[in-house]
Amino acid sequence: MRRDGKMTFLDRFRAMRETQFGAFVPVLLALGAIWGYFGLALPAYDVLTGEAESFRAIFLSPRNIYNLFMQSAVIATLAVGITIVLLLGEIDLSGAATAGVCAALLGVLVLVGVPGWAACIIVMGVGILMGAFQGLLVAYVGIPSFVVTLAGLLGYQGLMQKILPTGNLNVGDPFVRGIARVLIPDMWGLVLAGVVVVLFALASLRKQAQRRMKGLELDSPLVLWGQVAAFGVIVVAVVLTLNAYRSLPLLLVLLIAITALLGWVVTSTPYGRSLFAVGGNPESARRVGMKTQRIRVSGFAIVGLMAAIGGIFGASRFGSVSYTAFAGGSLLLEAIGAAVIGGTSLFGGRGSVWNAILGALVIGSLGNGLDLTGASAADKLMVSGAILLLAVAIDALSRTNTGGR
Amino acid sequence: MASKTKLEGQNTAPPAHLAVRGIHKRFGGVHALRDVDFEVARGEVMALVGDNGAGKSTLMKVLAGAYGADEGAFFMDDKPVTLSSPNDASGLGIQIVYQDLALCENLDVAANLSLGDEPVKAGWRFLPRLLRPLDALEMEVKAREAIDKLQVRTLQSVRAKVEGLSGGQRQAIAIARAVGTESTVVMLDEPTAALGVAQTRQVLEVVKRLRETNHAVVYISHNMRDIFEVADRITVLRHGGNVATYTTADTTPDAIVVAMTRGLDDEGAGNAA
Repeated sequence: MRRDGKMTFLDRFRAMRETQFGAFVPVLLALGAIWGYFGLALPAYDVLTGEAESFRAIFLSPRNIYNLFMQSAVIATLAVGITIVLLLGEIDLSGAATAGVCAALLGVLVLVGVPGWAACIIVMGVGILMGAFQGLLVAYVGIPSFVVTLAGLLGYQGLMQKILPTGNLNVGDPFVRGIARVLIPDMWGLVLAGVVVVLFALASLRKQAQRRMKGLELDSPLVLWGQVAAFGVIVVAVVLTLNAYRSLPLLLVLLIAITALLGWVVTSTPYGRSLFAVGGNPESARRVGMKTQRIRVSGFAIVGLMAAIGGIFGASRFGSVSYTAFAGGSLLLEAIGAAVIGGTSLFGGRGSVWNAILGALVIGSLGNGLDLTGASAADKLMVSGAILLLAVAIDALSRTNTGGR
Repeated sequence: MASKTKLEGQNTAPPAHLAVRGIHKRFGGVHALRDVDFEVARGEVMALVGDNGAGKSTLMKVLAGAYGADEGAFFMDDKPVTLSSPNDASGLGIQIVYQDLALCENLDVAANLSLGDEPVKAGWRFLPRLLRPLDALEMEVKAREAIDKLQVRTLQSVRAKVEGLSGGQRQAIAIARAVGTESTVVMLDEPTAALGVAQTRQVLEVVKRLRETNHAVVYISHNMRDIFEVADRITVLRHGGNVATYTTADTTPDAIVVAMTRGLDDEGAGNAA
């Protein structure tokens, strides 16, 4: 495959990123490094210097991990949506503002007496419309998505302030609050994890058997079982950790389920294939008869939907809707950062929604860890910026065309 | 003499599969194609040559349906057909491999070969076709078949991303994609222009395979050595008109170059005969 026999480190790195699970490696390493630093290195340093009397891994305590997951959930929801437009080679700067408008609308709707479930469905529809509107401007009017969504960011921020003149609204609706408050009982959480792992293993084995039957190249058993084992360990470990503090929250189950559905659509349907094709080479997609404009609009509609869901999750977790928590805060850049840190390319055509969740965990862990160590807001901003820069540098280097040589 | 050459060519030529007669194409004031005739038979490689601006690319795009002709008639196996859009062309089994190949480098070989026409699993009828599960294995099987048919030996895996492949392999994959869709006419635009010697050889082998599989191949090139290696006949255009059609065995590269640059005798622009 290679033009010459020699493989530089960069080549190996690229080759690894091409494999199905290799794409997770950089972001997992980053996550491991951050957790190791805040969870083990810092407490150990404190013990050695005599600042703390005993080794206390506050960061890695089940309680903190639980909070970390919940804090990262809203970022992750938005990042999963933004991944879709990044795959198309576009960008969406208005995601957080859309989430803000949707959350504000949700708050107002339940305040005037609309049932919680109906209000959720309405704001999801509104989110889709807000996204699709921007998509229409990008695809049919031909305005660059950066400009359209920058305008959207400003406009939707204003719209949110119009809906919430006071800038703050409590949400007490039991249905909305329940999304974040309901916990899956410990036992059922483990059963759910077990079922998911067994299904994953069966699907892998079945695929391998079919490949053998059709005489196609096989994955090595080591890789196959390694994937199943890694997946199983991570899922069970997460559930056990969450059970050790409270239990598996419904919010996380919903987030994983939505991501799984979207991930399946992106990797395993003709529609998902068309997202990659349009992002990789729009001319090629057009020539094989794909309706590239409609695909772009649909991508923005999906971001709108995910932003609305993020708004619902946020309203549910905070029990209130505030301007600073969504449109006016750092949510937007954290969400885009999460998608990019996860390994989704800003140049289009490469990425995965699962990586966005890991990227959100990286961002969430940084913020959480720095908070625990008492770092200032200034430190947090600078460290986040450095991590984002590193992630984009890795993205640029792992592209064959722009990489060194 | 021009008409004589043409006549000889047609007498010995196999029956045309795709033929066009009297094509005119104007872009504003520019008369890009003037009364052009062109034909290609199955199991034949027809080279299309001409100097820059002679109308090769315009003619090819007309044949591919990308440009509508202002005047002219199209025939498939002697039956008149209409051809005014790329969909018409692919419906008639005419496929084109553009110079830029238009492959998605971020996708693997199998995905590129079935792009836009991905096989989906049976069942799932309640979903729109775009959202039905892909049959990834079927996709690989098809890709394997297409690659084997063209005997692209250097390609190890259909799961390799296109960005990791050589220029010749990419060209072969673009050709395989064009051939894969039940096409009978394959047009290649300068397939060897950017390739080295070994890569060029690989692509020429693929072109020969297309002839063996009874495709009608239109081969546009500037490279006389390549043309004389693969082409059965050569159509020369100049200033948007026909000069003549030669049988490769009966002519020489020098004669073709003269026809491209000076036309035949004193007959200047186009084939008035």
